[in-house]
Amino acid sequence: MPIREKGYYHWEGELKTSYVKWLPIFLTGIKGVYKKRFSKLVCSFFLSYSSIFLFLVFLSSHPAGSFLKKAIAAIQTDKMLFYYYYTYESFLLFFMVIMSIFAGAELISGDLKFKSFTLYLSRPLGRFDYVKGKFSIVLFYLLSLTLGPAIVLIVFKMIFTGSFPVSVRVFLGVIIFPILISLFLASLSIMLSSLSANARLVKVIIFIFYVMSNVIARMFYDIFKSRSFLYISISENAKRFGEFVFGTRSGGFYTEGLISGSILLGLTLIFFAILAIRIKRVEV
Amino acid sequence: MEKIIELKDIVFNYGNLRAIDHINLEIHKGIYGLLGPNGAGKTTLMKIILGFLTPASGNGKVLEHDIRDAHIEVRKKIGYLPETDCLIPGMDGVTLAAYLGELSGMPKQEAIKRAHEVLYYVGLEESRYRKVETYSAGMKQRMKLAAALVHDPELLFLDEPTSGMDPQARKEMLELINDIASKGTMNIIISSHILADVENTCNHVLIMNKGKIISHQEMSSALNQETLNIIELKLRGNIAGFKEKLSAFRIEQDDKGIYRVHLPMDFPSQSLFKTAYETHVQIRHFRKSKVTLEDAFVTAIGESNAH
Repeated sequence: MPIREKGYYHWEGELKTSYVKWLPIFLTGIKGVYKKRFSKLVCSFFLSYSSIFLFLVFLSSHPAGSFLKKAIAAIQTDKMLFYYYYTYESFLLFFMVIMSIFAGAELISGDLKFKSFTLYLSRPLGRFDYVKGKFSIVLFYLLSLTLGPAIVLIVFKMIFTGSFPVSVRVFLGVIIFPILISLFLASLSIMLSSLSANARLVKVIIFIFYVMSNVIARMFYDIFKSRSFLYISISENAKRFGEFVFGTRSGGFYTEGLISGSILLGLTLIFFAILAIRIKRVEV
Repeated sequence: MEKIIELKDIVFNYGNLRAIDHINLEIHKGIYGLLGPNGAGKTTLMKIILGFLTPASGNGKVLEHDIRDAHIEVRKKIGYLPETDCLIPGMDGVTLAAYLGELSGMPKQEAIKRAHEVLYYVGLEESRYRKVETYSAGMKQRMKLAAALVHDPELLFLDEPTSGMDPQARKEMLELINDIASKGTMNIIISSHILADVENTCNHVLIMNKGKIISHQEMSSALNQETLNIIELKLRGNIAGFKEKLSAFRIEQDDKGIYRVHLPMDFPSQSLFKTAYETHVQIRHFRKSKVTLEDAFVTAIGESNAH
């Protein structure tokens, strides 16, 4: 008999107490982003880019097919391969910015617009569980489309060469670099998303933040000829941090890389702090 | 009798404004109506009980959990239908109800099954696969009720449950609330501006004003007040003059043209005839009126404001 005729009846089950209270937000969010229009197109940017490197790795182990000699020579060492994979002309970083806009801009601003925050907080969920759930969605996409293909590259290289192809340092670099950049971009997009109920505005601001940081840095660098101004640029910081973790340049550049990494980490922490203050103040 | 909510000396301020002023309250099993004018502190009180706001002082327990540091445990056992339109866009009805069930700690499959059941129960069976943002105002209210019920809470907070509903939908909503209440296992607190809804549904009434509980009684007592002397009159003649003579008292007129005069208990109702004679008015109907919740509400607020 349907419940309507039978009247209200109780659910006989028992509510679980999970340590990962935000897991349903994470899982539902992943599906939600994937179902969006253009999600496959955005993912295809990453996959096409990774495929090029995969192809080059394949060619480098098959001398007969080395018609792209210059490119293959550039990635002959493992550290150069992964350094280029992560930082070459900031392509991957640009795709990551696009993904953080695509996946992250609406996550909290949509809830602010539709006042859904009350729905979440009337459940056994703290404010920071909510943030963790939302943050993990962006982080998942950024990492799975950067670190994921990098791991695939290692695996393929292993298949082609027959041995574990990278040093411990490079392996750590492969993991640490996308984690820091993803944390930075995810915290930026989620923080900005929490500041406005207008998702379009959030998208524009993230993009402008990225573009203007590079434009302003380059402008000051050209005027004053001082490399210090390049610390303003997100892509330059990412590149320098890449040089640091993969050890592709040494001497003074080593310190620059360390400073750039610290800047990205520091900004990430600032974004988190703003996010925490904002979420604490959201009225329900 | 088992206490559902126990609040002791709760104070809450919004900046310099005292929203909740030393409230002491005990709520036992049953259906409570929470009434009060705008700004009385009803929603703030609900938010304190739900753990959305932390009181400046005082303490309390909800379903045996401390309101200050057991928010998560409290919210597991509470269902909340907020007044505002708050749905998650992009989701259909089933997905939303199941999602909220999962967030409450239900296993995924159970949450989906239960989501279908509660959507049937609230009458959204036909629309359960439609995106929630396409729902009408009445459907959104039903959706919110389904979301509040999905995890089968022990205590249900309904903040303006019939807001934005047409008369038929409102009637159906009240029937659902009555049905839930009739099972006797779920406790309900309804905050509503529609006094008739509270009168028809609740068995206890709480009236708030200026951050204080000014009246807490059973509905039957509220409606059998011997302190209220209301006379129903049907008049003919110089009614304006008659009303002017009685301007010290509250006089209201219903849609059938019957006047209800609120007199003090020590005022002899027969003297109305003398006033009528003096103002050339005929009294064609004279009866002591039945007290409504609105009368009790207005009297309580009036007394509270006078103090």
